[in-house]
Amino acid sequence: MSIATLIKNTIDRLEEGFMALALAFMTLLTFTQVVLREFGAGWVWSLEATTYTFAWMVLVGMSYGVRTKSHIAVDLFARKLPPHIRRIVALIAVGLCLLYCGFMFYGGSIFVDRLMTLGNNARDIPLPRWVLTGIMPIAFTLLAYRFIELAWAINKGTETGLTADHGAANRNEE
Amino acid sequence: MSAIFLLIILFTCLAVGIPVAISLGLASISTILLFADQSLLSLAQRFFHTMQIYPLLAVPFFILAATFMTTGGVAKRMIDFANALVGHFRGGLAMAALLACAFFSAVSGSAPATVVAVGSVMIGGMINSGYSPRFASGVICNAGTLGILIPPSLVMVIYGAVTESSIGNLFIAGMLPGLILTLAMMGTVAFIARRQDLPRQPKASFKELIRAGWEALWGLVLLLIILGGIYAGIFTPTEAAAVSAVYAFLIAVFVYRDIRFKDVPKVLTESAKTTAMLMFIIANAYLFAFVLTTEQIPQAASEWIISLGLPPWGFLIVVNILLLVFGNFMEPTSVVLILTPIIFPIATQMGIDPIHLGVMMVLNMQIGLVTPPVGLNLFVTASVAKTPMEEVIRAAVPWLVVLFSVLIIVTYIPWVSLVVPTMLGVL
Repeated sequence: MSIATLIKNTIDRLEEGFMALALAFMTLLTFTQVVLREFGAGWVWSLEATTYTFAWMVLVGMSYGVRTKSHIAVDLFARKLPPHIRRIVALIAVGLCLLYCGFMFYGGSIFVDRLMTLGNNARDIPLPRWVLTGIMPIAFTLLAYRFIELAWAINKGTETGLTADHGAANRNEE
Repeated sequence: MSAIFLLIILFTCLAVGIPVAISLGLASISTILLFADQSLLSLAQRFFHTMQIYPLLAVPFFILAATFMTTGGVAKRMIDFANALVGHFRGGLAMAALLACAFFSAVSGSAPATVVAVGSVMIGGMINSGYSPRFASGVICNAGTLGILIPPSLVMVIYGAVTESSIGNLFIAGMLPGLILTLAMMGTVAFIARRQDLPRQPKASFKELIRAGWEALWGLVLLLIILGGIYAGIFTPTEAAAVSAVYAFLIAVFVYRDIRFKDVPKVLTESAKTTAMLMFIIANAYLFAFVLTTEQIPQAASEWIISLGLPPWGFLIVVNILLLVFGNFMEPTSVVLILTPIIFPIATQMGIDPIHLGVMMVLNMQIGLVTPPVGLNLFVTASVAKTPMEEVIRAAVPWLVVLFSVLIIVTYIPWVSLVVPTMLGVL
C-alpha cells in the first residue's frame, strides 16, 4: 500500500468513526438529560454540547456524502446527454460545487477569525467559541478535497457524475 | 429582478445535476453578493446556526430509531402481526402489506425507509403467492408514503421548525388523515381483490394472533411513548426522538437480538450519513429563505396573490398545484423548505390554520413521492422489487386516484386535520 492510499484510508476511517461517535454521543446525552430531569437533576452544558456535536457531525458528513455519492441531485437531464457532453457537463457541475466550497470556506474563515478576535467562551461549555466553530473552514476544505477527487475520476472516465448510477436505491431519507 | 436572478441560478444549477443543497447555496450566495448588502460572513454564520436549531435535532434521532427498527427485525414482526390480522381476507397478503406499512410508519418518519422495511419482505412474498409483480410494487410504493403522514414524520419536523408551529400538534393532526388514507387503500385492495379473485392466506388461530401481536407490541408501543411523552409534558419532540432511538437500540439488540453489538457502529454511520445529507440541504435552504426575506419576495408574492382577490379555497388550489409541480422534481423536504417561506405568510393572512396547511403539504408531498420523474418511492420500490422503473411507474399510477381523493378531503375539510388536536385540547 502506498503512502497516499494509506493517508486516504485513514481520512476515510476517521470520517466514518467520527460520525458514528458524534451521533451516539448526542443521542445518549439527550436521553440522559431526560432521565436526569425526572430526578430533578441535569447538566447545564448538555444542550450546547449536543447542538455543537450535531453541527460537527453534519459538517463532516457533507464530504462523506460526496464520497458515497449520497447527495440528492436532479440528474434526469444529465443522464439523457451523450457520454462526451455528459462528461463536460459533470465537470462544470463539480467546478461550480468547488466555487461554492470556496465561498463558504471564505465566509467560514472570517467567522472563525472574528470569534478569535473576540476571544469569548461559549455560554455553557468552557471552551472559546472559535474552537467550537473552527470546524467550518476545515469541513469545507474536506468537501473541496472530495470534489477534486471526483473531478479527477470523471476526467479519467471512471465516474460519470455526482450521483450513483442506480437512482436513489436504498436510501433512508425523505 | 433579484427574484428572477435567484430562481434562474437555482434551476440552472439543478438542471446540470448539482446536488440540491449546493444549488440552493450557490443561488443564495450569488444573489446576496450581487444585490444585497450582506456579506459571506453573515451567510456562513447563518449556515452554522441552522445546525444548532433545537427542533431540528429530532431529525438525526428519528432517523437512527428507524434504522435500528429496520435492521433490527421490528419491521418483520409488524408484518407477521399484520398478516395474522387481515391475511385471511381475499387479497389478504396485499392488505397485510398495507397495514404493515401503516404500522411501520408509526415508528419511522420517512417514506422510502418504510418502503425498504416492508417492501423487501412483502413484494417477494406477494409475487410468490401469485400476485402480479405490478400489483405488488404498486401497493408497497403507495402505502410507503404513509411514512411521512402517520407520526412521527420528518417532513412535519421540518415544517414545524421552519414555521415555528408545534411539532407535537402536527404529529397528532396527521393521525386521522393517516387512518383515512390507510382505510381508503384497504378498500381499494378489497375491491381489486374481488374482481381479480386474488388469493387468501390461511386464517391465523386466535392464539397465533395474540402471539404475533405480543411480538410486534415492542415496536408499536413506541408511538404511544412518543405521543404520550410529548403530551404529558415529560419531554419535547426532540427528546422524544432521542428516547425512541435509545428504545429502538435496546429492542433490536437485547429483546429481538437481531443486531449484534458489533453491527451498531454501522447503523450509526449509516444514520449519520442520511442526517448529514438532509441537514446539508436544510442549512442551505435556510440561506435561501434568508435571501427571499431580505429581498422581500414573500411580501411581493403575497401582495400579488391577494390582489388577485382569490378566495381561500382558490388559493389552496394554487398551493396544491404549486406543491405537486415542485414535488414532481424534488424530494419532500426540499420542497417544503423552498416553498414554505413563500406560502406560509400568505396562508396565515388568509386565516388558514398552520397545522391544517402542514398536513395538506404532507399529502401533496406523498403524491410527489410516487410520481415521475423524481419520485423517491418509485426508485426505492424499483430497487427493492428488482423491477424496471417504467413498470413501477405504471403500477403506481392507478393508486393516485386514492391519494388525490384523500388530498381533496384534507384540503377542503380542515376539520379532518384539526379535530383530534382540538379534542385533546391542545389546539
